[in-house]
Amino acid sequence: MCPEIVDEAAQVWFGPQHVSAHGWATKLTIVGDYIVECDPNAGYFHRSAEKCLEFRNFQQGALIMERLCMLEAFLAEYPYVKAVEQIAQLDVPERARVMRTIMMEASRIHSLQFWWGQFGAELGLFAMTLWPWVDREYFLDAFEELTGSRHAVSYSAPGGVKYDFNEKSIKMLERALDRLEDRLPKFRDMILRSPTFKLRTKKIGLFDAAQGLKWGLSGPNIKACGIPMDLRKDDPDPNLAYEMCDWEVPVTTNEDHPGQCDAYDRMSQRFKEIETSASIIRQLLPQVPEGPIIDPKARAKANRLPEGEAYGRVEGTRGVTTLFLKTADKAQTPYRAKIRGPCFASYYSLKHLVPGSTFADFVVIFGSLDPYPGWWDR
Amino acid sequence: MGFFSTLGDIFRVLRHTFRQTMTRPFTYFYPFEDRYYPDTTRGRHIHIRKNCTACAQCVKACPTIAIRIDKQDRMYEKDAALHFDYTRCIFCGLCVQACKFNALFHTKIVDLSEETREDLQYGPDRMGTLERKPLKWRGRTFR
Ligand code: SF4
Ligand code: SF4
Repeated sequence: MCPEIVDEAAQVWFGPQHVSAHGWATKLTIVGDYIVECDPNAGYFHRSAEKCLEFRNFQQGALIMERLCMLEAFLAEYPYVKAVEQIAQLDVPERARVMRTIMMEASRIHSLQFWWGQFGAELGLFAMTLWPWVDREYFLDAFEELTGSRHAVSYSAPGGVKYDFNEKSIKMLERALDRLEDRLPKFRDMILRSPTFKLRTKKIGLFDAAQGLKWGLSGPNIKACGIPMDLRKDDPDPNLAYEMCDWEVPVTTNEDHPGQCDAYDRMSQRFKEIETSASIIRQLLPQVPEGPIIDPKARAKANRLPEGEAYGRVEGTRGVTTLFLKTADKAQTPYRAKIRGPCFASYYSLKHLVPGSTFADFVVIFGSLDPYPGWWDR
Repeated sequence: MGFFSTLGDIFRVLRHTFRQTMTRPFTYFYPFEDRYYPDTTRGRHIHIRKNCTACAQCVKACPTIAIRIDKQDRMYEKDAALHFDYTRCIFCGLCVQACKFNALFHTKIVDLSEETREDLQYGPDRMGTLERKPLKWRGRTFR
């Protein structure tokens, strides 16, 4: 920066009290209305989850994982369960595989519905906030009917799942899907064609795929650039049932700037994600086979694990979510657990994305990346 | 946009408003009425001491150390008293899954607010029953 600019520049802390900052803090250097430097600061939500995991046994660990990101609780607890299953070499019954997949996709829908409502609030379109949040309530009711809790679901256990589908929970899930499929196309047309929304989001936060990959972005942020990078297809998980249904990785390509994505593309990409998830659930629901939901020996086997290392990963709502687990011989607790959340990359990519934009666009840029603080302060 | 179509729109809005005033509100009049809780709800626990065998599996399963067992306190032949600390419990359900003797269950009661922290330490007398102090508000009694 040349000295004249530094003289004029002001430093502003965006957050942690600001409502749109959701409790995290970013230091912005501002000249006039333009941001010239952006300095993201992680650490305001730190709860030492990795250390906590070292003091919990293999049944209890998944509870901490789901508390990192309550919005995608089913997805967040899965990497841990998967890593334990790998080390203990547990077999998952067919029924549990399908049920897990269904609930993980429902969780993805729920999380994305929450996100686009919140994104509306950040843009100042307040009515937009409440539309998806009403639909989301129906998913929460279905989760509650199945597991007994609306957010802290605690569903997957090593070797299967804890709660069985009953008639009512399936009916509630279908009711939620019906409502979603009825209302989402209307909302999508209304929002994506709205001139106000286009003005706020087009050409804002533009990056290309190579940059995104360099920064470590994954999930919808990369798929919005037109790259079909999805763990569900690229690395089919034997403990999940994505191969049982017919689906394509949703991607967004924009004619104006192919290979790049702006906030508008990321929004439309996430609408496509919701539709894909809904179609996967629709295909899997009639295919749930009969049988046990958990391997009866699993509890005893997961009590003490042999020495080993495992890497559990899943395509989360916000990107690739992974957990590295290392155990000592006959251990009751992990020796080391390392979480890799998808949002650390998206939060720190603000450093490159934001400079040059106006202050009002800052909220749009970070809102469109769907950051969740639990994933970088773990 | 003619005069009549605008008038029609106004009538439609009025009809909608009129209908909405006649329907039941979307919210619940808590505490006069409570929402629906499914059978699986993970609310506060109930301890059935007749079935308990003092195996302490629930204590071992708890991730937050919310349960304390007192094996000296006997009511039946081989049971034990459980003390629950609801300032710590996260309602994960692991203790209920760990109990193989049908002695510990979740209930549908989720409104656990109390005036002091000490009131949330449930002793064996409160763990064995669902009865609780009635809630008085503006001269009326609930629960
Ligand atoms: S529900 Fe979970 S936290 Fe609460 S007492 Fe039982 S095991 Fe402990
Ligand atoms: S409540 Fe169940 S698990 Fe706990 S001590 Fe009694 S029998 Fe054992």
